[in-house]
Amino acid sequence: MRHTSLFTVYLTLLIAMLCQLFPWIGQGIIFRPDFMLIVLLYWLLRAPNLCNVGTAWLAGLLVDLATGSLLGQHALSFSITAFVALSYQRRLVLFNTLQLVAYVFILLIIERVVMLLLKLFEGNDNPGWHYFWPILTGLLLWQFMILMFGGLTRPKTN
Amino acid sequence: MLKGVHQKLEAQQTPAFFVRGPSPFSRMVFFCALSISIMAIDARFNYLSHVRQAFIAALHPLEVVANTPSEWYRDVKKYFSVHNQLVQENYALKQQAFEHQIMLQRLNTIQAENVHLRSLLHGNNPIQHNAVLGEISHMGRDPFTHVVVVNRGSQHHIKAGQAVVDSKGVIGQVTRVYPFTSEVTLITDKELSIPIQIERNQLRAIAFGEGNNTLDIPYLPANVDIKVGDKLVTSGIDGIYPAGLAVATVTKIQQNSESPFAKIVSTPVAGVSNHSQLLLLELPDAIENKTSQPTVKETVEHNKDTVNINNKVKTDASH
Repeated sequence: MRHTSLFTVYLTLLIAMLCQLFPWIGQGIIFRPDFMLIVLLYWLLRAPNLCNVGTAWLAGLLVDLATGSLLGQHALSFSITAFVALSYQRRLVLFNTLQLVAYVFILLIIERVVMLLLKLFEGNDNPGWHYFWPILTGLLLWQFMILMFGGLTRPKTN
Repeated sequence: MLKGVHQKLEAQQTPAFFVRGPSPFSRMVFFCALSISIMAIDARFNYLSHVRQAFIAALHPLEVVANTPSEWYRDVKKYFSVHNQLVQENYALKQQAFEHQIMLQRLNTIQAENVHLRSLLHGNNPIQHNAVLGEISHMGRDPFTHVVVVNRGSQHHIKAGQAVVDSKGVIGQVTRVYPFTSEVTLITDKELSIPIQIERNQLRAIAFGEGNNTLDIPYLPANVDIKVGDKLVTSGIDGIYPAGLAVATVTKIQQNSESPFAKIVSTPVAGVSNHSQLLLLELPDAIENKTSQPTVKETVEHNKDTVNINNKVKTDASH
């Protein structure tokens, strides 16, 4: 893995925030991936010394402020997801690409389920299955991140 | 000898390379507790609304940057629209303007007549609503709520609680105001209710959003005189929405033998999902002075109060 600077981490998080702010008109909002979460997970798994649970919490709080949702709900779901992501972080070098995608898939499901529980506690209706679309579009975005910034698995040495 | 080596190792400090601060688990617990307390504060008290407003104001440049690609796309699309299409549109609009002018002439005489008759009966003059033109800049970013964001804010003297309409009918109510933008909760949102009457027989009721692009009119008896296709208009008795604006058309009526109430479903007539211009109607003075920053729930309760008051006024007038 190449060395990453703190500047790159915060710059990509800022760009993710910008993507989060893109205007969405109509039904396309169902498919919108969670830009902030994907970028966060990438840096959490790649450079846990630069990006930790606290960063995830702060990013979540900013997303809450920007989206106008109840303050703290993205912060909560992001910090739980970040914790799960970090708990297997050291074993990631042993994973192949498919296993890594599966791992991210599980993390995204965790975030969606935590968010859904919070929303149900707030008194919202069950949103239906389309609520889980951002997981699949998020995996596409994850592959894009890997293309842009390089993979997390150890390159083959033989 | 082995013991000596062991002691030596223990005396050493852990190298800085392995120091990672508190474990992820303790961090997670700390930040979860923090976010839960923030959620509780945000849900129960109003302390954080200023923080939110300041942040949104600071975020405005970023939002402008995020909006530019779609604006460029729209401009380019406008630029390349076909000449023939423009001519046709121009012709249609001119015809429409002509028709409207004729209708407006009649409206003026009818309005003058109405004022005259009201003064004869010593009635109050209807509330005049001024309006600010705005444009939907994007949908709310939270797919759970039915919210649109409009490009007018407290800098344009928008206040929370204002009614919002488009050319076809009522869209909703302003619920949060930021310096350059404001959030409009649509009438289909679960939190919003609107006093209506049926255009055909003047039956008064309150419609509630259902959260899925329809409105529900609860608490009406099963034998109520409502038909599919009936038009629902605002009754105007809340003082927020002017009377007679189109709200919705009834699409489905279910009579359940187990329930004393009919299940009446209607769909809004205003084009809430389109990118469109809309009008933000100014609040009448009485309400503006009473509540400077009403929340959705407060305005709903306020509506109920005014309903009662109006009933009283009506009975007084009939004596």
